[in-house]
Amino acid sequence: MTSGTLTLVSTKDDDLSALPVVPARHPWRWVGVAFVLVLAAQFVHGLVTNPAWDWPTFARYFTAQSILTAVGTTIFLTVFGTVLGFALGIVVAVLRMSKSPFLSAVGWTYIWAFRSIPLIVQLLFWFNISYLYQRLSLGIPFGPEFVSFETISLISPMGAAVLGLALHQAAYAAEIVRSGVISVDRGQLEAAAALGIPRFRQFRRIVLPQAMRSILPNAANEVISLFKGTSVVSVMAIGELFYQVQVIYGRNARVVALLMVATIWYIVLTTLLSIGQHYVERYFARGDRR
Amino acid sequence: MIEVLNVHKSFGALEVLRGVSLNVAAGEVVVVLGPSGSGKSTLLRTINHLEKVNRGYITIDGDLIGYRRRGGKLHELKEREILKQRKDIGFVFQNFNLFPHLTALENVAEVAELADARHFLERVGLADKASAYPRQLSGGQQQRVAIARALATRPKVVLFDEPTSALDPELVGEVLDVLRDLARSGTTMVVVTHEIGFAREVADRIVFMDEGVIVEEGPPDQLLDHPVHERTRAFLSKVL
Repeated sequence: MTSGTLTLVSTKDDDLSALPVVPARHPWRWVGVAFVLVLAAQFVHGLVTNPAWDWPTFARYFTAQSILTAVGTTIFLTVFGTVLGFALGIVVAVLRMSKSPFLSAVGWTYIWAFRSIPLIVQLLFWFNISYLYQRLSLGIPFGPEFVSFETISLISPMGAAVLGLALHQAAYAAEIVRSGVISVDRGQLEAAAALGIPRFRQFRRIVLPQAMRSILPNAANEVISLFKGTSVVSVMAIGELFYQVQVIYGRNARVVALLMVATIWYIVLTTLLSIGQHYVERYFARGDRR
Repeated sequence: MIEVLNVHKSFGALEVLRGVSLNVAAGEVVVVLGPSGSGKSTLLRTINHLEKVNRGYITIDGDLIGYRRRGGKLHELKEREILKQRKDIGFVFQNFNLFPHLTALENVAEVAELADARHFLERVGLADKASAYPRQLSGGQQQRVAIARALATRPKVVLFDEPTSALDPELVGEVLDVLRDLARSGTTMVVVTHEIGFAREVADRIVFMDEGVIVEEGPPDQLLDHPVHERTRAFLSKVL
């Protein structure tokens, strides 16, 4: 036994456990940091010293009444686009996941159609719907009418914008909801079924809270993208933020300062949404923390 | 209590159950043994209609499971009615399938009043873990919560699908203790397991399955010590 023993730590001088540890150095990281800091300093210096940024004009318009009203319109469009879009999106996702091949095809077709049409084309289409159908009416299909409306009075430019944004959003929301639902482990549904929990309650209490974990980051992306995407409704002359700054710089030619007004508002509101996202995600992550 | 008659079940071309009949009396504990792929789990899952049978039928306390007999035909029940029937049949999964976003107490309370839920958690010895989330519990504790949850609908029978197979060896004992306790209190149980020692001690009857049929059945000492069938002997020689 003794003859075959290999001794790794032989003498007291070689006792490695007593030696201090020197961490590896990364000098190139410091070079990288210095490089980026210099660039950032130049950028900030330019923002402050270059008169072309025209900060006094920025300050004058940032909280002007017309801009605040436009911010309100942008928020209104985002909220309605999101709420109606996700409500319809949940319906479409349920259709798409239906065991009935017909209903599933209906869901698939909706998603296919509204993902295929560019949002701006769709908005212009709704804006001009009254060329296509002058009157809309409720009644028996192919039979008598009960009430009828002038299309142009029923669908205002604002109505067309909300309709277009919501229908567009619903197609994406449907896929996000579906991806969340199919990410829930099959065993969860089996357990719920084995316990005899009613179908709707299974969805609300078991599936949805777990699906939310993967739905939320994607949904937040969509809300933020819709929030900035509302700027496309400026083609319909609706007074949201981007349209409003265009109108103002059309008058006074202070293009850069007014674009910065819009930019900073978009950044502020996106930041608020991101903070909200953090807290909502944390709520749905309960049970995942030790 | 449970009557399984001539049940056949196929997954595509693969016939997993090939005419299985089994009766379980009230208060009886039946352990199902057999090699993997023998159809044990599928049999258990047909009893609470998680799997639809292709032929044959199952009754619990005289109630046909999943169907209603009317005018010489078997009418498939609506999902709502099947879910109601399942309240009579507790089911414990190999992988626990606790709801991860709910605490231990909330898991049980999903199917019972809060006071009842506490009572059942106490019964499996986990009253002090009521507010813990599944992830914070050991495998053995999770399975005990799952058992409490299965008991919470006050079922007539409880089915256990390899309840200790996903556990570390040192955690198996605490789960088997709970099963032992339930068996002693007169719960009607069907247990699919590989724990031969547990089967010998607790089972009133052991059923040995292979290739989708019941090869033989009998009291533990007879089936384990004097198996009649060659296939039973071959299986036992590998696991004992």
